[in-house]
Amino acid sequence: MSTTSRTDLIPWVILAGAAAVYCGWALAPASTLYTRVLTPRVLLAVGALLKLIYLLAGALWAFTCRDRMEEGNRARPAWLLLSVGLLSSFVGQLSFAPYQLLGNEAPFPSVGDLYFILAYPFLTAAFIVFLRAYREAGLPMGSLTERLAILAGVGVIAAAVTLPILRPVVAAEGPLLERVLTVVYPVLDLVLLLPLALLLRVALRLRGSHAGSVWALILGGLIFMCVGDVAFAYFSALGREHLDPFIHTTFILSYGLIAGGTHRQLQLLRS
Amino acid sequence: METSEAVQVIVDVMAPYIGDTMARSATEAHCQKLGIPTDSPLSSEHLESLLGKLSGGLNIFLGREKAAAVIADVRSALVAREGGR
Repeated sequence: MSTTSRTDLIPWVILAGAAAVYCGWALAPASTLYTRVLTPRVLLAVGALLKLIYLLAGALWAFTCRDRMEEGNRARPAWLLLSVGLLSSFVGQLSFAPYQLLGNEAPFPSVGDLYFILAYPFLTAAFIVFLRAYREAGLPMGSLTERLAILAGVGVIAAAVTLPILRPVVAAEGPLLERVLTVVYPVLDLVLLLPLALLLRVALRLRGSHAGSVWALILGGLIFMCVGDVAFAYFSALGREHLDPFIHTTFILSYGLIAGGTHRQLQLLRS
Repeated sequence: METSEAVQVIVDVMAPYIGDTMARSATEAHCQKLGIPTDSPLSSEHLESLLGKLSGGLNIFLGREKAAAVIADVRSALVAREGGR
């Protein structure tokens, strides 16, 4: 293996290691490793740092992709929108930093939620612009009927999975704003899933290629984000906060994969 | 060169960037839209139109410079195939 490819592997080893450590925390929180060495204080701080780094890197790399594309390139505005969406999430995560870097859970709701929610319109718009760019460039996107069938299928399946999970969230007691926000995230994820489903169809046709790996990483990251939001809503409503490490795992994976995807796109543009 | 043969050369060059499936379906879709018959020799006029369309698609993924370089590779591969006969 060359030095370059070994160096390229390091971020992925770190991401996989972090995911394994946080999963282990959820599965065996009482073990010596998690009570003496990797204590919750340490893990909250490290997790916060990783999320901040991934989100900022993703936002910067997406913006650089936009910058490297020529004026008039139909994908250019999409990379800008993706960058702004990631930056908005970064600001949200940054507002948690004073708590999490000191090893404390961040309050919910907080001002950070404003920025996390603000990220969704940008991310959704980014994927719609990507889809329009691919269609206008003459790439095969399937017939209108086929696309409508995909949207309907994904909508029905996502609603069938999410709504039963959200039912106890809606019925749970607690401050109204907290309950509304807990439901808003998965609902926004459902909206985001619709353009993602159409992009997944494109990504499948790109498999085995450099552009395919870009989309596999970005879409994989967004799927982890949706899973994290739904799990957060469910665990919060049922008072299962001890499962929070799983949520940290999903968000670390989500932001890490998205950052990886934007970096790979930048490599493609620079190659 | 037969159109089907040229399509295969084009797909082979573009596949590392956008995948075999997308390269093939995009090339075939453009051939169809441009009215290029797949069972006859590819005229230079049709080839230019086809490469123009493919370049537009590649731009989205690779940017203009890299897309132009890939199209140049396609041209070289087509010439090499012709020369190898």
